[in-house]
Amino acid sequence: MGVFQLDPEVYRRYKDEVLALCNSFQKIHQPGLSDKQIAERLGLDERTVTEIRCVAERDCYPLDEWQRAIDFKRKAALEWAALTLKRPDLKPE
Amino acid sequence: MTLPADAAATLKRAALKGGAVVCGVADAAAFDALAPAGHRPADLLPGARAVVVVGGAAPREGDWAATSPWVLSTMGTTERIQSVGRRMAQWIESEWGYYALFVPPGTSSGDQPFLSLMLAAELAGVGSRSLAGPVLNREHGFMYWSAVITTAPLTADGPEAEPACPAPPCREMWEREGTTPCLRVCPLSDNGCLEGRITNGRAERTGYDAARCRTRVHTHWIPGFQKVLETTLDEPDKDKRKMLLYGDFMTRTLWAMTYSSTNIAQCFECMRVCPAAHGLKEMR
Amino acid sequence: MEPATSLETRVKSAGLAAGARVVGIAAVEAFRAAVPEGYRPEDILPGARSVIVAGGDGPTAGAWRCPDHRVMEITGYDLRENVAVHVMCDFIERELGHYAIQAPSLSVHGHEPPMSMMHAAELAGLGSRSLAAHIILNPEYGLLYYAALITTLPLEPDPPLAEPACPHPGCAAMYKRIGTTPCLRVCPACLTGSVKDNRIERSTYDRERCHSRAQTYGIGSFQKSLLQIVNEDDPERRHTMIHGDFFTKSLEAVGFFRDSIAQCFECMRVCPVGRKHRKLQ
Repeated sequence: MGVFQLDPEVYRRYKDEVLALCNSFQKIHQPGLSDKQIAERLGLDERTVTEIRCVAERDCYPLDEWQRAIDFKRKAALEWAALTLKRPDLKPE
Repeated sequence: MTLPADAAATLKRAALKGGAVVCGVADAAAFDALAPAGHRPADLLPGARAVVVVGGAAPREGDWAATSPWVLSTMGTTERIQSVGRRMAQWIESEWGYYALFVPPGTSSGDQPFLSLMLAAELAGVGSRSLAGPVLNREHGFMYWSAVITTAPLTADGPEAEPACPAPPCREMWEREGTTPCLRVCPLSDNGCLEGRITNGRAERTGYDAARCRTRVHTHWIPGFQKVLETTLDEPDKDKRKMLLYGDFMTRTLWAMTYSSTNIAQCFECMRVCPAAHGLKEMR
Repeated sequence: MEPATSLETRVKSAGLAAGARVVGIAAVEAFRAAVPEGYRPEDILPGARSVIVAGGDGPTAGAWRCPDHRVMEITGYDLRENVAVHVMCDFIERELGHYAIQAPSLSVHGHEPPMSMMHAAELAGLGSRSLAAHIILNPEYGLLYYAALITTLPLEPDPPLAEPACPHPGCAAMYKRIGTTPCLRVCPACLTGSVKDNRIERSTYDRERCHSRAQTYGIGSFQKSLLQIVNEDDPERRHTMIHGDFFTKSLEAVGFFRDSIAQCFECMRVCPVGRKHRKLQ
């Protein structure tokens, strides 16, 4: 026996629902549910919901999204600097 | 430059002003009989004469009273006393012109520290070893330690004459039930870490499972990370590998490793029940 | 004869002297409405009566001007609000004899801390939620970082803000004109929202996408890279992945967390709230 390991089948079945109910995709002034509340709603135990949520948070976007993040920040910072520092030479291509 | 006559007292005042709760001085030579070669003061600082020990940054009364397990296990930290130790090393060098070496709080290899801070605290007379293991100060109980090795010829304080452990309630409990709070909460005989007895008013530890204790004090830490990594590499199913690497245990372990300066110690159960661990002040 | 200084003032003064930019107080009862059981201050410290919140400065004005986004990615912050919380905790326990703990805010199960510092800041009157990732904006200083303490000391709470900091009048006017605001325009990937009658009408925030930006190099990127690495059968490709820039930076971020806590500021860079404090010589 090792640390708690989630069955990939259980994960695949419930991950979208858990993500939708927790705080991953937020609407202002409408807090998401706790793991315990999600467990009650889906008929699972809390430990399983916690595990599904942890894996799903990390699994939500592929690693490509991280490269998009790098490109986004580089471009946004340069555009702002070009505008506010009045340095058109900084504007990204 | 020679030291002023009241050097030790001046040093201690500076340490307390800097944030230490207690400060003591140990004779560097006193480590020779008790510490393994390579882990004595002179091994780290040639010519070492004294080891200055500061203690502090103890969990607050509120921390012990908190019912959430995440308070102590995400807030247990030596960081606030280490900064005092660092400053004292700089202070000794700039004030007196003697060498001072701040003992790094990490390990030199494996699980071996550079110098045992617990032994240093004992030899500096600021605490004594408890049945549960941690060094307890008679007045303030459980606290964290930092040490500075120096060539300054400071007068040593010497070990405490009377240890904090066993506390009177524990002696009574031993007479009554043949156990103490710490032995009862974490018994070696029942998948715990501790075994011991009280003989003629002295605590005597007869068993300690250090490896098991490590899984509790460092539940989410480097050894756990290594184990999950090994399990993952041995797992042929790629989906199951994802469950391991993205799962709660690995994620929490990475948080603990990343925020290690505020999240070092993760089990306090022997100290939570210890009457000598919490200091003397009543809270509301 | 000098008037007696109130307990509230004494505690706040200790926090401000220790480096907090702002300090506010909330009553524990206020957390019950929106916080599920298990995550409330009274679940953490029995007998809790008050939550004191300290807000600390973010990047310096000079850092905001740097055209290289990598600078602010690893500028880090000095966690001064946490120092202020410790100082106030020590004051409360040592001088006033009441229990006080730093509120645990480190994530313990995925992206979930035991207690929300954002919500505590709102309830303590230090700021309000914004269109920009629902970041709590202080009306005077804009982006601040928050830490809190929980105590059994009963204190008079501060009221939540009467007027929300967001939308700024300039943003409300911009929305009326062109149907967007600076933050919504700069980061449509993470944010959507609308403004009506000078109030936030609707606002959504994709936290998981934001995570790839706010913590590009860190625990998440380390886990994702590691999974790719262990699943890569070709040893040469594995070698380039292990030693490449992305995995190396991820390890550095894990090792030097203090220098890389927050790594995306683009919604805040364009936010006018508090910007007057960033105009220096």
